[in-house]
Formats: sequence, structure tokens, C-alpha cells
Amino acid sequence: MLAFVARRLAQAVPLLLAVAVLTFLLIELAPGDPIVALAGEDGDAAYYAMMRERFGLDRPLGERFAAYMGRVLRGDLGFSYRLQQPAVTAVLGRLPATLLLIGPALLLSTAIGLALGVLAARRPHSLGDTAVSTVSLLGHAVPVFWLAQLLLLVFAVRLEAFPVQGMRDVRLDAQGWAGALDVARHMVLPVTALTVQFLAPIARVARASLIDVLGQDYVRTAVAKGLHGRVVLGKHALRNALLPVVTVIGAQVGFMFSGAVLTETVFAWPGLGRLLLSAMLARDQAIVSSMFLLLTVAVVLSTLLVDLLYAALDPRIRYG
Amino acid sequence: MNHAATRRSHLPQRVLLPLVALALLGAPALAQDALGNENPGHEAPKRGGTLVIGIGQNPGHLNPAISTGSEVHAVADSLFNGLVGLDDQANPYPDLARAWEVSDDARRYTFHLHAGVRWHDGEPFTSADVAFTFQQVLLRYHARTRTGLAGRLERIETPDDLTVTFVFREPYAPFLQQLNVTEAPILPRHVYASVADVQNAPENLAPVGTGPYRFVEYVVDDRVVLARNDDYFKPGLPYLDRLVFRVIPDANTRLLALERGEVDFIGGLPAGELDRVDALPEVTVFTPNSGSGGGFCVMTMSFNLERERFADPRVRQAFAHAIDRQQVLDQVLFGRGRVASGPIHSQLAFAYSDDVRAYPFDPALAESLLDEAGHPRGADGTRFAATFLHFPAFAKYGEVLRQNLAQVGVQLELVALDRAAFISRVFEQRDFDTNVISYCNNSDPAIGVARVYVSSNIGNIPFSNAAAYVNPEVDRLFAEAASQADVAERGRLYAEVQRLLVDELPVLWLVETQFSAAGRAEVRGLAPWSGSPAEAAWIAR
Amino acid sequence: MAERWLAARGWAPRRPPALSPSLLVGGALTLAFVLLALLGGTLAPGDPFAAAGAPFAPPSAAHPFGTDDLGRDLLRAVLHGARVSLIVGATVAVVSLTLGLLIGGVAGYRGGAVDDLLMRFTELVLVLPRFFLALVVVALFGASLANLIAVLALTSWGIIARVARAGVLTVKEREYVLAARALGGAGPRILLRHVLPNVLTPVVAYAALQVGNAILVEASLSFLGFGDPNLVSWGYLLNNAQAFVRRAWWLSVFPGAAIVLAVLSINLLADGIRGRRAGSRG
Repeated sequence: MLAFVARRLAQAVPLLLAVAVLTFLLIELAPGDPIVALAGEDGDAAYYAMMRERFGLDRPLGERFAAYMGRVLRGDLGFSYRLQQPAVTAVLGRLPATLLLIGPALLLSTAIGLALGVLAARRPHSLGDTAVSTVSLLGHAVPVFWLAQLLLLVFAVRLEAFPVQGMRDVRLDAQGWAGALDVARHMVLPVTALTVQFLAPIARVARASLIDVLGQDYVRTAVAKGLHGRVVLGKHALRNALLPVVTVIGAQVGFMFSGAVLTETVFAWPGLGRLLLSAMLARDQAIVSSMFLLLTVAVVLSTLLVDLLYAALDPRIRYG
Repeated sequence: MNHAATRRSHLPQRVLLPLVALALLGAPALAQDALGNENPGHEAPKRGGTLVIGIGQNPGHLNPAISTGSEVHAVADSLFNGLVGLDDQANPYPDLARAWEVSDDARRYTFHLHAGVRWHDGEPFTSADVAFTFQQVLLRYHARTRTGLAGRLERIETPDDLTVTFVFREPYAPFLQQLNVTEAPILPRHVYASVADVQNAPENLAPVGTGPYRFVEYVVDDRVVLARNDDYFKPGLPYLDRLVFRVIPDANTRLLALERGEVDFIGGLPAGELDRVDALPEVTVFTPNSGSGGGFCVMTMSFNLERERFADPRVRQAFAHAIDRQQVLDQVLFGRGRVASGPIHSQLAFAYSDDVRAYPFDPALAESLLDEAGHPRGADGTRFAATFLHFPAFAKYGEVLRQNLAQVGVQLELVALDRAAFISRVFEQRDFDTNVISYCNNSDPAIGVARVYVSSNIGNIPFSNAAAYVNPEVDRLFAEAASQADVAERGRLYAEVQRLLVDELPVLWLVETQFSAAGRAEVRGLAPWSGSPAEAAWIAR
Repeated sequence: MAERWLAARGWAPRRPPALSPSLLVGGALTLAFVLLALLGGTLAPGDPFAAAGAPFAPPSAAHPFGTDDLGRDLLRAVLHGARVSLIVGATVAVVSLTLGLLIGGVAGYRGGAVDDLLMRFTELVLVLPRFFLALVVVALFGASLANLIAVLALTSWGIIARVARAGVLTVKEREYVLAARALGGAGPRILLRHVLPNVLTPVVAYAALQVGNAILVEASLSFLGFGDPNLVSWGYLLNNAQAFVRRAWWLSVFPGAAIVLAVLSINLLADGIRGRRAGSRG
């Protein structure tokens, strides 16, 4: 098992390097350079020449690339002059806020998705089944920012039930349990928007695999042995139906982050989304590369986790 | 003592102090306090409370002397002071300097500093700080100060701890307009003198200033928290306990937060919402001429004069007659602003002149001009296509212009580019037919206007002479106006240059824009045109 | 016996019908969407960018979807937007289909080092965060539809390649057995004839999903301010509506509803197509 994990992680390294190269090239080849974000406008030619030299922006591309790769291989992902801190620090600093949205949304959508899947699997291919499918598909078809704005208008503005923006009330500056409650209140609307988004693929796959599993031989065997219906469902069917669900969650990591970015924009949630957007506008290459690498790591890790979960859920699967 | 070089003389010390005392003691409270801020209820200011300001961008770092970025100044200006402050008409009033003298030839400016001013860490403020900030920081890293002063300033004298004299090589009239906290904030010498690299110092994230508020906390992309400076040198100020800046990037969300009371003040509202918000009793709307990033701005459409088609003045005039600037004002700015007549903002009274050629909205005339210039309509009705480069935020201008120009057979192709790409394509590659830029006059034409039209400013210099316009007469007029001491003479020179520019039409001036800001009605004493809007703010409950 | 027992407790698996509701409903709606997109110009003629009435007119007989801040008719704009969405979606689908089939097919057929290399490359493309990549490309290289289509098409073929390769591998085994017995060599044409019908169903379903995804990405990028200002797309309309969301609800509702309906119908269709195979695995 350990050898398997080690091998997978080793395989990920060239992938990460490729992503690092790609993001560097993207920013470097894109029109516009970071000098204005760093140095401000209204300067004259001599001023910008001086600034370019200071930040090493006047050195040839090849030289900058070599320096960049050297740093990356040493684990140094760059320094953001705009934020005056190492890029990794900035990115990891904003990660918890984004996870605070994605985590609960994931849990909720998995729970609801499974429930919907069970509901639909009771009578496959009936109108009721299609209705459930359509409802969950609707969630996937709605642009998440449109939904977020809708929620904002109805619940925060019209009904005034929830706050409009941010992660906590700055005036209150609540600590401890009161602080946690404050954050929870702010989380409700963005998490709802994301949950609706994540729901569809999970419900769809849960339904499909449940139908599949329920038709399997070992289920018939269990029934023939006289086992109770709920036991059949819980112990055997659900466990095995979970496998594809887990896969689909693992495959959705990138999709989840993009949904989070859009939701964060609408609710001014201080997470990774805004960091990326402002970094791109300022051509802050250190931050953009770090974020892409972080995402890639997340995808690699989640795929690995999925495979390990497979082994845990299905005793027939063993890795060498 | 006071000189014509300042457009409006500052109140001498003996008149100012009692006024301030009067305003603060609350006995016959004035409709406006000493800083010119609103006090409609004629109430006495209450101490205490937290003011939350919603800002649109993360500040990045908090050193206002090394950057002209509005996002830095929106926050950092509240931590520092300049030698003078500027009101909404760009007239100077005392800040760190309690009084000043200007020599008759406008070559020597002497400032007398307040005594007993302390930095947030307790160290005394002296003239050495001023000299250090200018020589080691501003003249090196602050784009506007460096560009405006570097060649002109001969030396800075500090005869004693409370006196600073600036000596210029030749007369320089607009100096006072470049000395507020946004243009020339004063940094502490004892903190920065030993710093190896001012642009990359941890001190920039935990700043020490002389300002009304001192630094408490900065959470990137989330908030900046400041607390009252109890030793602030202006007696009685500030009133608030805490000042918090909350980063809310989406303009709609920011406005919603204000309406719901989650923030107390925001700078910049979507133009379409101004009327609705103005009608709300719980919110006050301001439309100052300047903000934390500049002031007195004119939306300008530049033509690329290096392209043959636009080198022909008839084509440019045709554009001027084809574009309905009133429609732009109505549909893009919802009436908030003014149709522009030339390069200088109408609120800069001493320099503005409307004695210039007019280009009324006349599509028929535009069509005949285009025909005359050799661009007849083709079989499909189009004469030619032209690119129009703009920031995504200015897309609406492009849409109205596209509508107008389509009527006369010109197909405008909109190209939305973010700031860095825009600068690269317009100023570095010069790959455009037309573009739109918000050129800000910035309190004096010598600072913000000259750079757009002088021939020395053509090239890879952001927001300079995009049209590549060359006219030695214009160069001469601008140079002379900057080095003139007499205000009337400066006005005459600027009138002359406006006439010339509007005649030649290297660019087309669309509209003068206003800044917009809004605050909760119970907040008084705000100065929305200033980088430090909450210096004298208080909350009425 | 097991079925009866299950049925007694409310579990009633029926035989999948030849034409599931998903396929029917999805197919019909998608067809309607395509027709509207193609005929939009005739149904609501005129330049969508030209003013057609007073600004901010609410929905009425003259303007069924109302007008925007520049007086432009929203119905006209939505129909034009349908065409843009169709172009974006179709191009992305066709290109990713072609690339996917090609790369997956070659990898499966050739095997060995070629297979390894191509699959490593596919893995890289699959792991790249597609939305962020599109965002970066459009933000840095300019907000044009061409850029968007390019970046989406070049990053959406990954899963199709995987499926194509799997299909080829399955057939290849069979072919070798047959060929070993008869001719002594499997030709690519024979593979093609056997592979294509095998992989067509899931591959087409995935391609259809790409269409919906492309429409959503375009809308999201426009929302963030990186849309193409020269084309009326649904994302452009939603972005424009943002500033007036309190004053003119119709500006957000109709384009948003259009997006939802279009993506929904295409995804339903894709589901229906996939569902035709035995097992209906998701």
C-alpha cells in the first residue's frame, strides 16, 4: 500500500513541474507587464526603466525562466511584491476561507445527493425518476453566480434574513462561540449556492450506481438468504454504490474551486477567488503560479484519496 | 506674506485656531467645520464609535509614498499627513505645515511646521523627516512627484527642526497642489533611514505615521483595522475610536452592504444607482471632484495620429460631430457630470476656458466630412472599421460610441483589455485606432494635463501622450504656464493652449466625470474628496 | 423471486424503455434551442446593439423581454445570444471530439511508448483547472470569443481521449484473436469500423456535456468582466444586468433563464444518450 502511494506521488512530480512551466510561460507571454501594478501610473520613461531594472523585468526571458525553475525546484514559489509576502504564504493564508465554503457544501450535497439518488433508484426510468434527475440537473445548469445573486437579493435584501457580504461582521468583531456563530450566519447563502451546484453530478451518479448495484447477483443472493431489505440496502448496496460517487467527487475538485471563486466574488468572501483575480490583473506571476500548483496538488491528492477510499470500501480491491 | 501664487490664500494662524476651537467646543457650532466638512445638523461632534469603510480592492501594502495606486491610498492616507491638505476645489489648507510663504518669483517655498507633532511610536516629527521623505523616497518612487519635481527641485533646506524650504531652479507655480497626503505623504525618517529597500520592507505592512489613526491590524483581502491616534496634533481630532476598511470587490455588493448598514461609507457607486440611493433617507450621496486616486477627470478618446486615416483632421472632426456627448452623459453617467469642452476640467476655475471651438452633434455634417476625406460608404453601408481599446470598466462608453458611429457608417470594434495589457498595447506597441482613457487633471493642469499633450511624453509611458501629438507651440505654452508665478498670466496661457488643442483635436474630450461616494446619514464630518476621509468624521446617534 | 420480493417493498426496476423521458425531453428542447438560434435573426430582426426603444422599458407587447439601459431590445439580444452560445458550444464540442478520438485512438492502437506519452499528456490536460486556465488566458490575452473557444477546445478533449482509447483496446483484443486466426494482421480500418460504434455513445454524451460547460464558462467569464464586448452573448447580457439588478429585474431573469434552459436540455439529452446503454452507468 505504501509503495502504491509513494509511486503515485512520484508520478505527480513531473505533472507539477509541467504546470509550473505552463503558468510561467502564460504570464510571461501575455501582453502587459507587472510594472504598472508595482510602480504606479503617471511615471516617466526613466522612472519605469529604473523600476524594471529593480525587479529584474528587463532581463531576457531565458534567464528569468532559468531563475524561476531553479527557485521552484528548491521549493520557493516566489515573492509577491504587491502583497509583500511569499506567494505560498498568501495563498495558504486564504485557503481556509475557501475551504470553509467548499467543505460544508460538499458534505451537504453528498448527503442530499445520496438521498435523492435513493429516491430515484426506487423506480428507475419512471416519471418520478426523471423529475429527480431534472431537479438535480437544474442545479448544475444554473450559473452559480446568477444563483448567488438571486439568493442575495431574496434572502439578504428583501427578507433581510442574512448578511449581504463578508465572512464576519467587522463592527462586532465577535470572538469565540459568538464569532463562530457570526461566521456561520455569513456562510449560509454562499454555501447554499455551492450546494445546489455540486448536487447534480452526485445525485445522478448515486442513482445510476444504485440501480446498477441493486440488479447485481450478490444482492439477489442476500435477498434469497432472507436478509432484511434495509440491511440489503445499507450494508451491501449503498457501500458499493458509494464507489462511483466518491470518484465523481474526486473528479470535481477543479469544478468546485471555480464555483467557489464565483460565489466569493458575489459575497465578498475573502478566499482564494479574489486573490487569483487581483493577482492576474496585476500580473503577479508568483501568486498565479502558486494557485495553479495548489489546485493541481489538490486534484492529485483527491484522486489518490479516491483510490484509497476505493480500497477501503471494496475489500476486493488491493493495491500492490 | 500670502502670495498670488496660491490660488486662494490660507487663513493665517491667528484666524484659524480660534475657528477650530469654536467648531470643536460646539458653542455656536458652524454649518461647516474648519476643514470645510458638512455639518448640516449644526450639532456638536460626539466622540467614539467605529466607522467601517468599504473599499473595492485589497491595498497590497500600506506605504503611500512609494505608490500612486488608489487602492493603497484609500487606506494608507488615513495613517499619514502631508504638508498641506486640499479641499474639494483643490485649495490648500494647513496640515503638517501651519503656515507658509512663497517667494515673489515662486522659486522658494518655506513651510513652518507644527510643533509637538509625534509619530505613532512616540518619536518627535521634525523637518528632517520631510527632507528625508522627499529626497530618499518621493523623488525616487512616487511616480507623480518624481516626474513633476525631479528636474525642477534644486535643493531642500532645513534651517531648524520646524522649518523646511524648497528651492526650485525656475519658478514653479503648482507646487502647493502636490503636497497633500495623497501626493506627498511624509514618512518617518527614524523608521525608514535604516531600511535597505523601501519598496520591499516589512515596515510597509505595519506603518508608523503622524496621521489621525494608527495601525492595528491588516488581514490581506479582508480588512485593515486602525485605531484613534490619541496624540494627534490637531486638537480634538479624531472623534472615532476605530476605523475599519473592509475589502468588498463587487460594486453591487458594496452598495448593498452600505444600504444594510454593514458598512458606513463607500467611495464609488454604480452610476445607474446614484439617483435611487440619493433618495434613500438613511444614505447621503456625495459627488466630489476628486477621490483617493486622482481628481478632476475627463474621459478622453485618443486617436492614433500615426495612422494615416486619423492623421486627417476631417476624420477626427467627423467623429466629434458623429458622437452625441449628451447621450454619453445621460446613458453612461446618468447625468452625473458634464459634457467636456476641452482638456481642462471646468472646476479648475483659474485655468478653464470655454472660449474654444464647438463640435455640436451633427451626424449629417459628420457624413459629409467623411465623404470629403475620401471614405465613402461601401456596398454594405460601412465606410471603414476602427478599433476602440478600453478598460472593461469603460465598456459602456464604447457601446454608446458604437451606436453613434454606426449611424454614420463607421464600424467600431471594441477591444476590452485589462490595465497591464492596455498599457502594453497602447503605449508600447501603439497598436490601436482609438481608445478611451480617463485623464485626470489632478488639481493643477501642470500636473495632469501637460503630460498628455507635450511631445516629450510619447513612448512607453503609461497614460501619457497616447495620440503621439506633436506641436512645439503647445509644448512651449505648457512649459511657460508651469513656471509662471502670476495666476492671471497662467490662466491666459492655459486659455490659449485650450483654444489650440480644441482646434487641432488630437483627441476628443467626451465628458467630465464626477467621483461618487455615499455614507450613512448619521455619519458627519466626512471629507469624501480626500484620501483621508474620516479625519474629522463622527457618528451622530 | 428476488424481483417480486423487492417489488413488494416498493422497489420496481423496470426495463429501460428504448426512448427514456430524458432523451425525449432533452432532445426536443435541444432541437428547439438550435432552431431558435439559427432562426433568431429572422424572428427578431435588427441589430441587437442598436437602440429599439426607451431605456429600462419593462416587458410589454412591443418588447416581450423589455429593454436595457441603452434602449436595446432584450428578446432580440437573447436570440442573438443563443446563436453565439451555439457557435461556442458546437465548436468546442467538435474540436474536442476530433482531438479526443484522434489522440485516444492512436494511443490505443499503437500502444507501447506512444500510448504512454499520449496518456501522460492527457493526464496533464485533465488535471489542469479548466476554468482558471480559461480565466487566465482571457484576462491576459484579451477578452475575445476566439480566445475562449481556443482554450476550452484545447482542454476539453481529455476524457474523450480516455474513452476512445478504452474502446480501441477492447476491440484490439478481439481483433487480434480473429486476425490471428484468419488474416494475420489487424488493419486500422477494421478497428475503426468496430471501435466507432462502441465508443460513439459515451463520447457523444461527453461532447454534449462540453457544450453546456462551455456556455456556463462563457457566462461566468463575462460576469467577471472578461467577456467579448463585440458579441451579444448570454454572459454579456448577465454582466450588463448586474449594475441594474434592483431597477430592472428582467435584464437578469431572461438571459439567466435562457442559459438554464439551454444547458439543462443539452445535459438531459446527454443523459438520455448515455442511458441507452445497458446498465446506464453514470
